[in-house]
Amino acid sequence: MTNIKLSKESVLGLIALAIFVGLSLFTPGFLSSGNINSMMFQLPEFGLIALGMMVVIITGGIDLSITYIAAFSGVGAALMMTNGFGIFPAIIVGIIFALACGAFNGVVVSKIGVPPILVTLGTMVLFEGVILAITNGNAISGFPDAYSLIGNGYYLGIVPFSLVIFFVFTIITGLLLNKSTWGRRVYMYGSNDLATLFSGVKNSKVLMKVYLYASLLAAVSAIIMTSRYNSVKVDLGSSYLLQSVAAAVLGGTNIHGGYGKVMGTIYAVLIFQFIRNGLNLMGVHSSLVDVVIGAILIAVLTLNFFSDKLSRQKAKAAS
Amino acid sequence: MRKLWLSLVVVLGLILAAGCVSEESAGSGGDEEADGAEETDNTSEEGNTEEAESDDELEIAVVPKLVGIPYFNASETGAEQAGEDLGVNVEYTGPTEADAAAQVKVIEDLISQDVDAIAVAPNDPASVEPVLKKAKENDIHVMDWDTPADKELVDLSVKQVDDEEFGRHMAEKLVEAMGTEEGEIAILTGGLSAANLNSWIDAAQSELDENYPDIEIVSDKIPTDEKQQVAYQKTLDLLKSYPDLKGVLAVSTPAPLGAAQAVQEKGLQDEVSVVGSALPTDSEPFLEDGSLDTAVLWNPEQLGYLTVALGKMLAEGEMPEDGQEIEGVGEITVEDDGKTVIMAPPQDYTKENASEFDF
Amino acid sequence: MKALLKQKEFSVLAIVIIICVILSFVSPVFLTVGNWMDILEGNTVIGILAIGMTLIIITSDIDVSVAALTTAVAVSIGFMFQYLPDSWFSVVLIFLIAPLIGMLLGAFNGILVSKIQIPAIVVTLGTLNIFSGLVLYFTNGNYINSTQFPQSFMAFSNIEILGIPILIYLFALVAVSTWFILKYTLIGRSVLAIGGNAQSSTRVGINFKKVKMFVFTYMGFLGGVAAIAQTSYTTAVDPNGLMGLELTVIAAVVLGGANIHGGRGSIPGTLLGVLLLAIMQNGMILARIDTFWQNVVTGAIIVIAVSYDEINHRRNQAKLANIDVKEAS
Repeated sequence: MTNIKLSKESVLGLIALAIFVGLSLFTPGFLSSGNINSMMFQLPEFGLIALGMMVVIITGGIDLSITYIAAFSGVGAALMMTNGFGIFPAIIVGIIFALACGAFNGVVVSKIGVPPILVTLGTMVLFEGVILAITNGNAISGFPDAYSLIGNGYYLGIVPFSLVIFFVFTIITGLLLNKSTWGRRVYMYGSNDLATLFSGVKNSKVLMKVYLYASLLAAVSAIIMTSRYNSVKVDLGSSYLLQSVAAAVLGGTNIHGGYGKVMGTIYAVLIFQFIRNGLNLMGVHSSLVDVVIGAILIAVLTLNFFSDKLSRQKAKAAS
Repeated sequence: MRKLWLSLVVVLGLILAAGCVSEESAGSGGDEEADGAEETDNTSEEGNTEEAESDDELEIAVVPKLVGIPYFNASETGAEQAGEDLGVNVEYTGPTEADAAAQVKVIEDLISQDVDAIAVAPNDPASVEPVLKKAKENDIHVMDWDTPADKELVDLSVKQVDDEEFGRHMAEKLVEAMGTEEGEIAILTGGLSAANLNSWIDAAQSELDENYPDIEIVSDKIPTDEKQQVAYQKTLDLLKSYPDLKGVLAVSTPAPLGAAQAVQEKGLQDEVSVVGSALPTDSEPFLEDGSLDTAVLWNPEQLGYLTVALGKMLAEGEMPEDGQEIEGVGEITVEDDGKTVIMAPPQDYTKENASEFDF
Repeated sequence: MKALLKQKEFSVLAIVIIICVILSFVSPVFLTVGNWMDILEGNTVIGILAIGMTLIIITSDIDVSVAALTTAVAVSIGFMFQYLPDSWFSVVLIFLIAPLIGMLLGAFNGILVSKIQIPAIVVTLGTLNIFSGLVLYFTNGNYINSTQFPQSFMAFSNIEILGIPILIYLFALVAVSTWFILKYTLIGRSVLAIGGNAQSSTRVGINFKKVKMFVFTYMGFLGGVAAIAQTSYTTAVDPNGLMGLELTVIAAVVLGGANIHGGRGSIPGTLLGVLLLAIMQNGMILARIDTFWQNVVTGAIIVIAVSYDEINHRRNQAKLANIDVKEAS
């Protein structure tokens, strides 16, 4: 109890640090200012989606529609801008679009009680279809220059503005989960929904907010992505879907719910980012990058298993 | 609580470490802008000396829409061949899925590697705009190939064929194969959001509208997810649903194969004509028995070759001219804007010539 | 029991029937034998994989690596074809080797899930990346087309018995034998028991790890069979051809009434789920639905079906308490 034991998250943080140092030493160009800079720009959009996914996974659910929510929200914002509205109304509409999707997921999950994986599997196809029907599959582009500053600009001339946004939402997510009543109930629901219900918590309200919050993060990510890429298409960010699940679980989030820390997910996102970038710089074939990421996922969890086992044995021996 | 603090410290450390470096870069970037011409002169000089040191090995990056599909493998072969022939270092790399975000990351990493020229086949032209701007700011020559990016931005644009010509050519070939100027046809596409496929289909449709008014297109273009078996199933459904169907125009490389497979299985080689864009080796089994009438495409190996050859010219400060002979490719056409290069007219692959190609 | 069984698959059956009725009004071709042959043959691969996935979902796990695994086996088949002689022996050999490779890959998942106790979704996410990454690295995404196949295999894929393509027989064989295993063998009963209540089933002496190992290895085995079906269906090996199919497979299983929280699920239900997705795909063109709206329709039907099923299930639960294990069988 008293000795300083590293938590799962801190170990992961050290792994991230080790990878960072290792790549800096062995990959020419990894530590170059240009590269660090581009990594900082790449991080936020994926990080936000991973955080959203994590919150859902803490309740024991999963949101397979999250990247299409992001795309849908991007389409909403893009349509506003190309029709002559200002940036702020566009962002608001983008967020509203996303929240509408989140509310839909939330209602079906919390009121009807359909398992989240099924609901979001269906809504994934549904949202994709709606986007296709709206855009006819074409990309929407041509946003005002000021909009592109969100994803490409610097805050105080140093830090990418998108990274600041990400940082802010990381802190908000952390605070909400750890300090608010809602946050505590999210964990409670995740570890035992029945007990939570019997202790007088309105589960459906908690769940509803979870899906709304995840879709809000997706919307923020969408705004950064559309601004960075200056365009939106039906598959905006679709490659982040399974990656975000992987990041959340690599970050220690329990896939059955009840446990998950913001920091863990952030470290996992960093690990993915470093490795992808480092291997790309080394000129490793992109298919092998996937292999390495898959292997790391399994390796870290295997390690966790054996370290858990070890500490349990120690605990037994001690008692 | 202690754990939380520990975590925070680690992350802050990481961010600070990253932050320090970026501050430096922001500073030096500012200098560059401030000193303007002088500074750029310096960098280009530096560039030259560096090149001299490394035996004049120019580094040219070619970014396909995705890696691991036959079409882009063929252009990789060509690009690498060009690298050997011309003595330049070719880096052929791209995302594993045709995703705009993933492609932007690849390009960003290439900028970090400080290559001399980047040629990109954008998944979404608008989305690579910012990153290409960034490349230019870093004195990297920027060009597009296969699919055009923003015209203002690129120094050179390599096109395999003229889109309008290609679409119209496919439509003509289909009418020719059908042997009649009336009847029902269907159009299959790889995906609804693929810009180049859409422009070919639009061109084909206008060709049909203008010159063959009695040909009726039975449905909207039908997406096949870039998969042969999907194209196969959709064609089976089409054949049942429209028994009088005379022709199928299949755009995207797997789609003609699936369509031809359906026609082959139902033994409708003589009733239904299939024309589409496919690679000759893949289409050979279907061309042989006439289930696929003509595959129209260009030579992707040559396209890769040409891209690298032009990239080298660009990095050396030259521009191609109309009618110029490029070794290993042939005579190229340069459009009036001076930077759009068209490789060659579309090539037809038929039963007779398909076996002569190895891609 | 019988009535209960009917209840469970009732909702999806009802939806299948409704869609069938609508489609047969809209399109005269829909209710033809030829169309149904096409539908069944075209969905053999999804069907076989869905059957394997049913067992995994019954034990409240999930396997997202199935498509990658099947592709890996299919690519191995294509590779072997270049060396195999043109005789019926090659076909038999493929039928021995392909499921074996599949089983090895599946067992790899199984070991990680059962021995190392990593959640299945994580394991299979990892192996999805590993399998598909390796496949793309080694094949570079290149097709292997039928010119390199032994003629005997081509002959095999064209076999029709009583006018029914061989693949449909293969599909039926897999369905019936899996149904039999689930219903009448010890290991099959254990699968259902663990899904019903993992704790109490281990207390009555069921080896939890062994069952987990079994379901994942069996999934791998069926992945191998599906790889043969896929190769013979498309008469080509396309390393990208099955990308993303895992979600369709999972959708089919859950539409068929299998509960992702385990314990619920049956082979007939899954077959209905596969059928539902299949006729929707088929019907889109037959019903001449606008291309851009097809996904909206598909998504809406999935959401409606799962919601309807859930409401139905709840009503039954309210009526009959504590039927976990019995209900699943």
